[in-house]
Amino acid sequence: MRFSDLISETLHSLTANKVRSSLTILGIVVGIASVIAMVAIGQGSQASIEQSIQAAGSNVLTVMPSAGGQSGPGVRMGAGSVESLTREDAEALAGLSLVTGVAPSSQGQGQLVAADANANAQLLGVTADYAKVSGLTVASGSFITGRDDEKNAQVVVLGATLAEDLFGESVDPVGKRIRSGNMLLTVVGVLKEKGTSGFTNVDSAAILPLSTCSRYVTGSEYLSSITLTIADEEQMDAAENSVSGLLLQRHGIANADYADFSIQNMADMLKTVSDVTGTFTTLLAGIAGISLLVGGIGIMNMMLTTVTERTREIGLRKAIGADSSAISAQFLAESVTLTLIGGALGILTGWGIGVLAASLLGASAIVTLDSVLLAVGVCAFIGIVFGYYPARRAASLSPIEALRYQ
Amino acid sequence: MGTAVIDARDLTKVYDGAGAETVALRGVTLRIDEGEYAAIMGPSGSGKSTLMHILGCLDTPTEGAYLLSGRDVAELDDYELAELRRTTVGFVFQAFNLLPRSTVMRNVIMPMLYTRVSHDERDDRAAAALRAVSLEEKLWTHRSNELSGGQMQRVAIARSLVNDPSLVLADEPTGNLDTATGDSVMDLFARLNAEGRTIVLITHEPDIATRTRRVVRITDGRIVEDAATADADIRQYGNGDAADSSVAPRVGGA
Repeated sequence: MRFSDLISETLHSLTANKVRSSLTILGIVVGIASVIAMVAIGQGSQASIEQSIQAAGSNVLTVMPSAGGQSGPGVRMGAGSVESLTREDAEALAGLSLVTGVAPSSQGQGQLVAADANANAQLLGVTADYAKVSGLTVASGSFITGRDDEKNAQVVVLGATLAEDLFGESVDPVGKRIRSGNMLLTVVGVLKEKGTSGFTNVDSAAILPLSTCSRYVTGSEYLSSITLTIADEEQMDAAENSVSGLLLQRHGIANADYADFSIQNMADMLKTVSDVTGTFTTLLAGIAGISLLVGGIGIMNMMLTTVTERTREIGLRKAIGADSSAISAQFLAESVTLTLIGGALGILTGWGIGVLAASLLGASAIVTLDSVLLAVGVCAFIGIVFGYYPARRAASLSPIEALRYQ
Repeated sequence: MGTAVIDARDLTKVYDGAGAETVALRGVTLRIDEGEYAAIMGPSGSGKSTLMHILGCLDTPTEGAYLLSGRDVAELDDYELAELRRTTVGFVFQAFNLLPRSTVMRNVIMPMLYTRVSHDERDDRAAAALRAVSLEEKLWTHRSNELSGGQMQRVAIARSLVNDPSLVLADEPTGNLDTATGDSVMDLFARLNAEGRTIVLITHEPDIATRTRRVVRITDGRIVEDAATADADIRQYGNGDAADSSVAPRVGGA
């Protein structure tokens, strides 16, 4: 049988049963579309999570105080629950060769009172380098300077959201005053909106000079974290080792198990989160795959019904000289055509659903070539696998029995 | 004698039923030459359908040899049998067996789908076959379920002719037609035979059998008579006014 004849016969018999063909196609459309949409949404959210981690800088190490003696007796205390890091530690770390930036910080909580509004906010004590290390930019005014830090200056840089909460949208708060506890802070700058990055949301934080924060907010010279930027992302592990070695030495601790600090590596974090979201995407796709399987069974069901219904036709075709391979080719062509049409529509529908759902969820949907190729492959596979059995069955009918079939 | 189209020797066909064997043919020997016009007659259950299936290469005999146009079907596999049906046999069925939703042309072209005939030649051959059965050209693009019974059977006959078979096998071709239409179909067969076609009809109607040139009667899987139509005893199926027979059954060749 010629290929063009095969196509023409296939379309002819599929259009002879429009309703049934369309319903079968619909089954495949639903299956393929849900796979494409799920994978698109999954990959989209994976990308946006990774992006927000990368916004914090994937070449960033964060050192936090933590209780030593993980395997020792007593209560294991979490990160930030002990006081062990000092400004001197931070200055020493700045001397390491792989470290390009050091930003010690301390953290507290406080009530901020402006003229017309007040807010409870996170208070961050930082040095001038913090802006560079954390990738912050100032929308108006200026950032904390080294001089502010030296002089325990009562100045504050507001996160974008916090500035809006305290002063409203249209007012430039630079130069305005805020009371917080014993401090009367002058606003020197407002940050550009950044979004959540890493563990802190700077948009709703108030940033003070480190020395001011130590004196008036935390009442302690100890730091709550030291953020380090590393020259080369490839050398994160090496940098982590040298940071850890230096701190152990400075703190006089011989056994790393008893370290009074912990180091968080953003690259590791990114990998962990990627793994988790990747698993999540696979899970979603797996569930969607089940509906694809159901669609495939729908095709098989239709093809088996068709074989039964067209038994006489098969008998006739065999009597006038069609051999088994021509008959099975015809039925296989029908099921493959159904899946291909369904697959094409499914990819478009899935794409649409993915984009729509993602915009409703505020995430982005990513339809990759991989997932489209996967869907097409699965389609072809379904068409062939679920079409093969009915096709074989049609081909193996005895022409006499088939002709006699009522 | 001319060239044998059908050369069947001592055909036996046994069906394996559930536990019981059914013997459909018990040693049938039959030779039909090119250009003959023969009727195979027999009551239902006589084995005539089984014989037709074997003659048409739809089935193979349990024992005995069958040569169609000189080829021994016992030596052929499924694919070769299909090819033999495609090139050598044209089937005409009692129920016409047209594809109802397809046009007349498409139905007639169908046997050529399984050959390597080019698109143009295909159309030419279909048109020639439809003219040969005298079907009006305006009907060619109609769907076959829009036709009358006689027209459908003409289309079916045209379909059986397109691959230029050496044998046209017709199974009760007038069984679903009224007498007048049946007559016109029989006229068509007579004309095709006059043009040199070898035609074998299966029928149980004496009226039909009398219009052929040779009658083979089969009962209980055996040929009980094989004679020129003028000499044949077809009384027992007919009205009793058929030719009086003093002719002894002549089995095994005309």
